[in-house]
Amino acid sequence: MQVSSARTIGKERTGEWIGRLIENAEVVAPTAAQAGDVIFRKISSPVEVQWGSDNPLFPPKQVVLPQTDPLVTISRGADGLVVEPVYDERPRVLFGVHSCDVKGIDFLTRMHAYDLADTAYLRRAAALTSVSVACITPCPLGFCICCDAGPFLAESFDVQLTDLGDRFLAEVGSEKGGRLVEPSADLFRTAEAGEVARRHELEEAAKRAFGPETCHFASAMRRVSVGRVSAELWDEIAGTCLECGACNFVCPTCYCFSVKDQGRDGHWVRCRTWDSCQFRAFTREASGHNPREAHRERVKRRFFHKVSAQYFRRDGAVGCVGCGRCVKVCLGTTDMPAVVAAIRKGAWHG
Amino acid sequence: MDNLFLPRVARIAAVRDETPDTKTFDLVLRDGGERRDFTFVPGQFMELSVFGIGEAPFCFASSPTRAECIQTTVRRTGLLTDAMHKLAAGDEVGLRGPCGNGFDVAAATGKDLLFIGGGIGLPPLRGLIWNVLDERDRFDKVTILYGARTPTDLVYKGELDEWARRGDVELHVTVDRGEAGWTGNVGMVPTLFDRTELRPATTLAYVCGPPVMIKFVVQDLLMRGFSPDSVISTLERMMQCGVGKCNHCCIGHRYVCRDGPVFTYRQIREMTE
Amino acid sequence: MDPVLTTCPFCPCGCGFYLHVQDGRTEGVIPSEGDPVSRGRLCARGWGSHEAPAWGERLTEPLMRHEGRMRPVSWETALEAAADSLVATRRAGRTIGVLGSARATNEENYLAVRLARGALQTPHVVSCLTATYQPLLDGLHDVTGRHAGSGTVADLEHCEVIILVEGDVAVTHPQVAGAIVRARKAGCRLVTIGAVASQMTSLAALSIASTPGRERAVTFALVAAALAGGRLDTATIVAAGASFDALRRSLAEAEVSEAVARAAGWYAQAQRAAIVVAPLVADAAELRRLAGDLATLAAATGHLDRDGSPLLILPARGNLRGACEVGASPNFLPGFAPLSDDGAGSRLEGVWGVPPVRETGLDAAQMLTVARGVVIVAEDPTAVMPAGALAREALRRMECVVLLDAFATPALELATVVLPIASFAENDGTVTGLDGRVRQVRAAVRPPGKARPGWAVLAAMLGRLGPATEYHGAEEVRREIARAMPPDIGARWREVDEARVVPRAERNGGRRPSLGPLAPCEPIKPAPSVAVWDGVLDWGSDPLVRYSPTLCRDSAAQRKLFPGGFVELSKEAMDRLGVRQGWPVRLKSAGGEAVAPAVMRADLAAGVVVVPFAFRDALAPVMGGHGVTSVAVERA
Ligand SMILES: Cc1cc2nc3c(=O)[nH]c(=O)nc-3n(C[C@H](O)[C@H](O)[C@H](O)COP(=O)(O)OP(=O)(O)OC[C@H]3O[C@@H](n4cnc5c(N)ncnc54)[C@H](O)[C@@H]3O)c2cc1C
Ligand code: SF4
Ligand code: SF4
Ligand code: FES
Repeated sequence: MQVSSARTIGKERTGEWIGRLIENAEVVAPTAAQAGDVIFRKISSPVEVQWGSDNPLFPPKQVVLPQTDPLVTISRGADGLVVEPVYDERPRVLFGVHSCDVKGIDFLTRMHAYDLADTAYLRRAAALTSVSVACITPCPLGFCICCDAGPFLAESFDVQLTDLGDRFLAEVGSEKGGRLVEPSADLFRTAEAGEVARRHELEEAAKRAFGPETCHFASAMRRVSVGRVSAELWDEIAGTCLECGACNFVCPTCYCFSVKDQGRDGHWVRCRTWDSCQFRAFTREASGHNPREAHRERVKRRFFHKVSAQYFRRDGAVGCVGCGRCVKVCLGTTDMPAVVAAIRKGAWHG
Repeated sequence: MDNLFLPRVARIAAVRDETPDTKTFDLVLRDGGERRDFTFVPGQFMELSVFGIGEAPFCFASSPTRAECIQTTVRRTGLLTDAMHKLAAGDEVGLRGPCGNGFDVAAATGKDLLFIGGGIGLPPLRGLIWNVLDERDRFDKVTILYGARTPTDLVYKGELDEWARRGDVELHVTVDRGEAGWTGNVGMVPTLFDRTELRPATTLAYVCGPPVMIKFVVQDLLMRGFSPDSVISTLERMMQCGVGKCNHCCIGHRYVCRDGPVFTYRQIREMTE
Repeated sequence: MDPVLTTCPFCPCGCGFYLHVQDGRTEGVIPSEGDPVSRGRLCARGWGSHEAPAWGERLTEPLMRHEGRMRPVSWETALEAAADSLVATRRAGRTIGVLGSARATNEENYLAVRLARGALQTPHVVSCLTATYQPLLDGLHDVTGRHAGSGTVADLEHCEVIILVEGDVAVTHPQVAGAIVRARKAGCRLVTIGAVASQMTSLAALSIASTPGRERAVTFALVAAALAGGRLDTATIVAAGASFDALRRSLAEAEVSEAVARAAGWYAQAQRAAIVVAPLVADAAELRRLAGDLATLAAATGHLDRDGSPLLILPARGNLRGACEVGASPNFLPGFAPLSDDGAGSRLEGVWGVPPVRETGLDAAQMLTVARGVVIVAEDPTAVMPAGALAREALRRMECVVLLDAFATPALELATVVLPIASFAENDGTVTGLDGRVRQVRAAVRPPGKARPGWAVLAAMLGRLGPATEYHGAEEVRREIARAMPPDIGARWREVDEARVVPRAERNGGRRPSLGPLAPCEPIKPAPSVAVWDGVLDWGSDPLVRYSPTLCRDSAAQRKLFPGGFVELSKEAMDRLGVRQGWPVRLKSAGGEAVAPAVMRADLAAGVVVVPFAFRDALAPVMGGHGVTSVAVERA
């Protein structure tokens, strides 16, 4: 980061800034919800933003990849059926996300651009700009540091804020990010060297604050990639998975889906809907044959996709940003750190 | 195509019964421009949709050398295929593709070609077979071995006769169980190997059919001296997108819809998950 | 639109989550960490619950059968026809009844009860699943004096020992299964009792094999073992006095295996220990005794009502507990008030303006056979009744079938009047979780077309049949429920506090458990094989599963691959018969015989044949509407 590119904004002025963002875009931010939860949703006023909350349990993934995502509309016209693509290019700002989620969306965008470009996804993602807040204290279950996805970002961000007490340091990481900051230049001032130094101190401190018990991908990767995890161990792990799919649904990097038609009588919307590789039906063919009929094969699949060297080479990252959400949502006890540890040690805690 | 999920609209020009549960559809893209620009390679597949029901992958059963219409042969086995079977000439369907890699026709130039199909495995080969027959000079000996459970289950019966009559193809057909009036071979497909002269070193073998049949045929071919590189097959996996995004069709980090469905036996053997 | 916090419509764990809405349709589910039941964890069904309301085949306008065909009519016409035909049937001296449902809210079930016992003056109001649950509550009542267990699912996580009378909770009650997995990780010893191996049995420290339908043989022995092992709760035993000796004597014949003795010992010694009973396939008397055994076990060892030692009876479906509690049960007025309770009678008369009918009602199976007119609230009896085919026949014979539902189900074919109602995603109200928590259901979207909330439709029917009844919202119905109930139970309805579990006062009701002799346990007659339903019932026929493109896949594939049904056999049995996967076998029982393909099920006891509930009708000649039957199996 160059000193000259960093600015600061006084906390008392962030409301003004967010207000201006709301005028020009749909702003999605962490907000308070009924049961005491924090949920990402569209805000209509800066006061709705829940600053400093723990990372919301449900990631902002649905901003780029809705649970039910319309792709094509089909209707009856005079000369037969009319098929039209659905594009959602509303300008959006994802405000107040944490580093891991920025990395998650970055990962998803790479996946949808890889090989054949998925324009429906990419156009929506192109219209999204993120304003992330770097984590100065690691969240209780997070291990982003093992996945190169936090606590601070050196790349992939649009605007990154660091909490300096009474003000934020704002770094602009992309042109899109610049377009959020430039028009509000009056609210920012150029950062001083001391402020930039403080940001680096905070980053170092945050990194040190991660305990030793994190997630050791490397050794798990060695075993998973060559199939050197015993069927018995997979069986044991599978025995405590209840096939809810939650690990996939809340994972910032998971994007498996199915395609189905909604509606009837000549008005259909073809939608992509979230699916889970942990579901038995995910690979079942019409004949009833299912290459992953055994539960262990499905569990194994999830970890092959996330931590194998084959995928690491293809995707340039493990399929995990260390947000720790799967630890919280897993109905069983089969979360990423637990399974990585089991693979490494060759024994399941069960 | 700009949007991966946007189907083209195709009209059904004709429907033919092949067997009690299999029909062949002649499809013509509705838009003239699309019709002209549409190209594919045998072995590739399309995602066909019946609107309101959904989509499923089907092989091109016709050859790109015959551009009048796109053909596909569909066996009724579930939601979408049921709906397909209820359609008639004039109805519209959605068509995405072509998807997948297809057979490498250029690499087959100058070689002996051995086509081995079982049951509903003949359609993907049929596209390649017509392609080869339409450019017959480029290839050496062409042999087709085809088997089905019963004579009723044989598809493209008219064409089988046509191929049998041609002097430039060797065709052998067999059924597992004969029926009244059947005078041909009875026995599993591998029994046909002894009826033809194989030249493993210069032959490419294309094997499509039910998994058990593939297993036995491939074993046999390897024993007869074929290299795993010259045995070529197609894989079937549950598919949703056909474009490498949905992850339904993965085997390890390979995507059957993108890296396949055509693979050499060596590639298939090396896949791990 | 803002996400709306609501309660899962599927199983009685009663998980809370938010429904996410886009363009007027439920688009997704957002988990809630703050929810006291789910704490952010949902099963696949919960995660897919937004689908059916948006993708399913919805009923959007009132329909009436006219010359055999269903025609759309106005609400006025439909309501009038419904009321008139019911009254006419009753006037003609024929029986009429009302079916509540585990798929309906407390408010809807309560109004169904009020419609029956009040407006229509018939005692026949019950839900199709009442018979699977009420006997267990009665068994608890025999010992504890109340129709409820105690504790919560979350309590399980801290238990040292869990005794699970298993069906297949990983499928039926995933949140319970999750708590058990967690408990086990923390060192808990799991004891499972069951005939069919399940995911939970594979996690058990001890799994005790039982004969299908005769699980009671094990629970009876557990009580005997606990009493023999000492470590009993002195206060309870002293208070029981002579009845304790009677209890002891009644157990003299019990056959205690080593495994049972160990399990009882673990349970008695633990500080925090749980008993969980999954839905079982057994007859009512057997269920009642089984629950009585377990309540006795808990009481004698001091676990009953101890904080941290839950006793959980798992209702088979969503709001089954609520349906029974508000009175969809043949022997009770709302709040399990006995029919003979004059106080309850006058309380209800005060609320309803008419005295309630206080005769015993028929159970669902009897009612369907006898009645000539029925109101069905959000249920497809052909899919959930033990004898689905008989239910179909019975409905076909009726003069009027008034069906309230949000979705098109096979019952539509049999209805004479169809009243379209809101699905859970469009409805306000409450449901009662398995632990007795009253939980809020909140509308996230508007009902499609002309559909109205079920409570409003039932209120309109009440208005037509009696004094004008108007509610300004489901909340007002809920407050009426509070007044209609005995005060201790009604308190839970007065103010809904979802974090609060059943208060202690309601738990012990101020009285000690009454220990007494247990009914003898008949010896198990050896049978060549026993055929039994899978005990999961059939999720695949539930419209919320059937119409969810993600959730329907397994059951749809099963139905497609085995259109005529199948049975599951152990490997041993298949080897003995010399049959392979998919080959037909013939089952013969005293009732008749049937042929079905055999599918191998690992870890099944050799003498057990599992008949998937979804295919019970195909096996009806053999099962004859019973959940368990002795059969002979041979190669067909
Ligand atoms: C590359 C490829 C080429 C194929 N070519 C042909 C062909 O030429 N002729 C033919 O009859 N069949 C072909 N199939 C198989 C055909 O795709 C399935 O029979 C079809 O998907 C069944 O769909 P359904 O809706 O009727 O069945 P359902 O059981 O109702 O399946 C529901 C959905 O699951 C998916 N699905 C189910 N089974 C399969 C499967 N085996 N492969 C891929 N997706 C599946 C589809 O999206 C389908 O719509 C091919 C499959 C693949 C992968
Ligand atoms: S969240 Fe846990 S229980 Fe659910 S599918 Fe994933 S690993 Fe299994
Ligand atoms: S456990 Fe039960 S209540 Fe919870 S999400 Fe699953 S079906 Fe719904
Ligand atoms: S079918 Fe979707 S990735 Fe291959």
